[in-house]
Amino acid sequence: MTEELLRAEHISKRFGGVVALDDVSLTIRAGEICCLVGENGSGKSTMIKIISGVYTPDEGDIYINGHHYKRLTPIEAIHEGIQVIYQDFSLFPNLTVAENIAINELLASGKQIVDWKEVEQIAREGLAKINASLPLDAVVETLPAADRQLIAIIKALLANARIIIMDEPTTALTQREIQSLFNVIRELKQRGLAILFVSHKLNEVMEIADRTVIFRNGKKVLDQEAAGLDIPTMAYYMTGRRIDTSAVTFEKIDETAPPLLRVEGLTLEGGFYDVSFELKAHEVLGITGLLGSGRTELALSLFGVMPADAGRIFIEGKEISIRSITDAVSHGIGYVPEDRIREGLFLDQPISDNVTVTLIERFLRRLGLLDLRTKSAEAERWIRELEIKTPSGELPTKTLSGGNQQRVVLAKWIARSPKVLILNGPTVGVDVGSKAEIHELIRQLARQGMGILLISDDIPELMQTCHRILLMRAGRIAREFRREEITEQVLNAELVAAATAHSS
Amino acid sequence: MLKKIIRTQEFIVFLILVALSLVVGIINPAFFSISTLFDTLRASIVYFIMSFGVLPLMIAGGVDISFVAIAAMTSYTTHMFLLKLGYEGGTLLYFLIAGAMGLLAGLLMGFLVTRFNLPVFNVSLALYTMWYGFNLFFIGATANFDLPKGTVGYYARFLITAQDPYVGQTGLHVSIIYAVVIGLFVWWMLKYTIIGRGLFAIGGNKEVAIRSGFNVNFIWMVAFALMGVLSAIAGVTQGFLSRYFNPVLFITQPLDVLAAIILGGASITGGRGTVIGTTLGVLLIQIINRALILTGIPVQWQKLVVGIILVVFTSIPAIRAQRARRFRRTTEAA
Repeated sequence: MTEELLRAEHISKRFGGVVALDDVSLTIRAGEICCLVGENGSGKSTMIKIISGVYTPDEGDIYINGHHYKRLTPIEAIHEGIQVIYQDFSLFPNLTVAENIAINELLASGKQIVDWKEVEQIAREGLAKINASLPLDAVVETLPAADRQLIAIIKALLANARIIIMDEPTTALTQREIQSLFNVIRELKQRGLAILFVSHKLNEVMEIADRTVIFRNGKKVLDQEAAGLDIPTMAYYMTGRRIDTSAVTFEKIDETAPPLLRVEGLTLEGGFYDVSFELKAHEVLGITGLLGSGRTELALSLFGVMPADAGRIFIEGKEISIRSITDAVSHGIGYVPEDRIREGLFLDQPISDNVTVTLIERFLRRLGLLDLRTKSAEAERWIRELEIKTPSGELPTKTLSGGNQQRVVLAKWIARSPKVLILNGPTVGVDVGSKAEIHELIRQLARQGMGILLISDDIPELMQTCHRILLMRAGRIAREFRREEITEQVLNAELVAAATAHSS
Repeated sequence: MLKKIIRTQEFIVFLILVALSLVVGIINPAFFSISTLFDTLRASIVYFIMSFGVLPLMIAGGVDISFVAIAAMTSYTTHMFLLKLGYEGGTLLYFLIAGAMGLLAGLLMGFLVTRFNLPVFNVSLALYTMWYGFNLFFIGATANFDLPKGTVGYYARFLITAQDPYVGQTGLHVSIIYAVVIGLFVWWMLKYTIIGRGLFAIGGNKEVAIRSGFNVNFIWMVAFALMGVLSAIAGVTQGFLSRYFNPVLFITQPLDVLAAIILGGASITGGRGTVIGTTLGVLLIQIINRALILTGIPVQWQKLVVGIILVVFTSIPAIRAQRARRFRRTTEAA
């Protein structure tokens, strides 16, 4: 039996009337990668905050390195060697690399005066620990996500971490960066550290876990060795229901029909070059590629956010010009952004207002007043149709879960019945259960005759929804695949190959 | 290193300052005089002191406007109180009593902000109104010109004096020393203490500052206490420099001070700001003020000019960020 570093016993935590954790126990051992899995709202984040001292549990005990805690403070947790790497990497964007690396050590030393030579010294030692080289005086907000994550890991190591907790560490990373992160994690495990890897990406959990713990609705539903655990089983424990992805039916496309959307030689300086493709009605066309391959820029160009510098765009055979979002919307193009929280929703506003915001001119009456009755009827219809789970359409949108929020974003565009709908990473940060439902929704929209451009680097997602897939590399379309011609493995290999070609 | 300095906002403010002085000096040579220099500095002293008090708060992401009211309340109350006692001594007791009141006022505000987790601006708006109301209701509604014997000559106590060809004898007031000492202290605190780095940390990302183990509430309390004390010092200094105590001192001025700090490169959302930038910002506003008088441009233009400069300055970071994004895309695609 390996050494037990942390044991949390019978932890319960309530927020107002909501039970976030209900009598949950968790053990973390040295030299073990423990994956904590659960849907949004399952209590994962609450657990992390409790064992790092941010929240005080209502009931339960925490034992760390043999010490018993009823109330744990963040400082005590740090002294005991617990380090959390949050999704935002917990860095100060306005401070330099050196200060970010050294700040915890400075605080831990209890000194009140800062010695800048010492700061630089600590930063150099830290970089040496994982053989990284970063400019010490660069301001962190100017660095890419992978570099920021390295800084976060260095910080944890410098704090003499014995337990490193990683909260959704792969969210902002490309496939290749994820692999190098996994190498770092395995290296840390070799050194005898305990890793708590918190995720809902089951393929990543499969790859990295020694032991898997699954939470659902604030309860622990599974805690066992990862060997022998497969993705469908994990998905079942996570959601409490079976998700069947094998029997997906695809809408037949009329190959002879004229294209709904045709793009010729579209170019945006610094974004993408000479992009041409066709999209037919009823078709789902996937566009994949690494971050920086130009896929997002292409989507933004078609939606008028960054108008293209050259090239032609045709809708139903008629050439159109897209210079602004208003142009795109008036030609029947809808766009669901990658970052739904920031770009797609008014989180503090009622769900009904969010659903109907793209239709607002339809409710206009004389004097520019709104017909509220029609508006709320329309909102009710879409909330029903997209099965958005809420007691009332008048609640603020932020009360919804991630998957339901994504449906609100979809609803507001579908309500306009666009001809072409561009979806950018529609299931990023959405849990397994909602993901399957959103995929079904995409197929359903295609069945009704919409043309859909799906931008994603989630390979199973592409395979389950798309008729064709375009692979972008360095701003150009590198390959085109028909879904029935390829497998997930082939597509994955192509994407990684693109990564290697990209970096050389 | 040089390149880095040139890219800072402080350097741009410095250039504008130099360019503006040159232009005004060419139009009206009277501007290039030792008396203009001393006068500009004398007028800037209280703004230096107040802005050095508000800067740490702004770095932590808190926008305060109550500092002017604290300056007015502490100085006016102290004055009226000592007058009633028949005090005849020097300025020191004024600074001690007002400073202690400023400390309490700052701590009260810090308590409200940290205990109830209220937005700094909302609390400061309430206290701004409350302290002026306190003066007018409890202490008195009229300016008072009776100074204790020991303080009468203070307004003309100079650190150095010089002969000016236009106005004759002129001098730099001793209270410039307060501004310099306070400026050095705040600079040192921001750069070399954990509290100072904590202010930057809170302004950069408050949630992370808490998680990292900064004593966020304590740091806030220190910043508010400092703001309170420095506001009181500024209020008393202003009273002696102008030789009267005013219950509504600085009531229209809070935005001028905030504008100076923002011109100097601080961000209203926190995380950025320097003492040197703030100093230059205060000077720039003072010089624009003087320049317009000396060049014969109507005073009303002053606000417009400061406003335009502020618009340009607040856009610079946004424009830079946009260019950086575009640049990053290009390098990734290449």
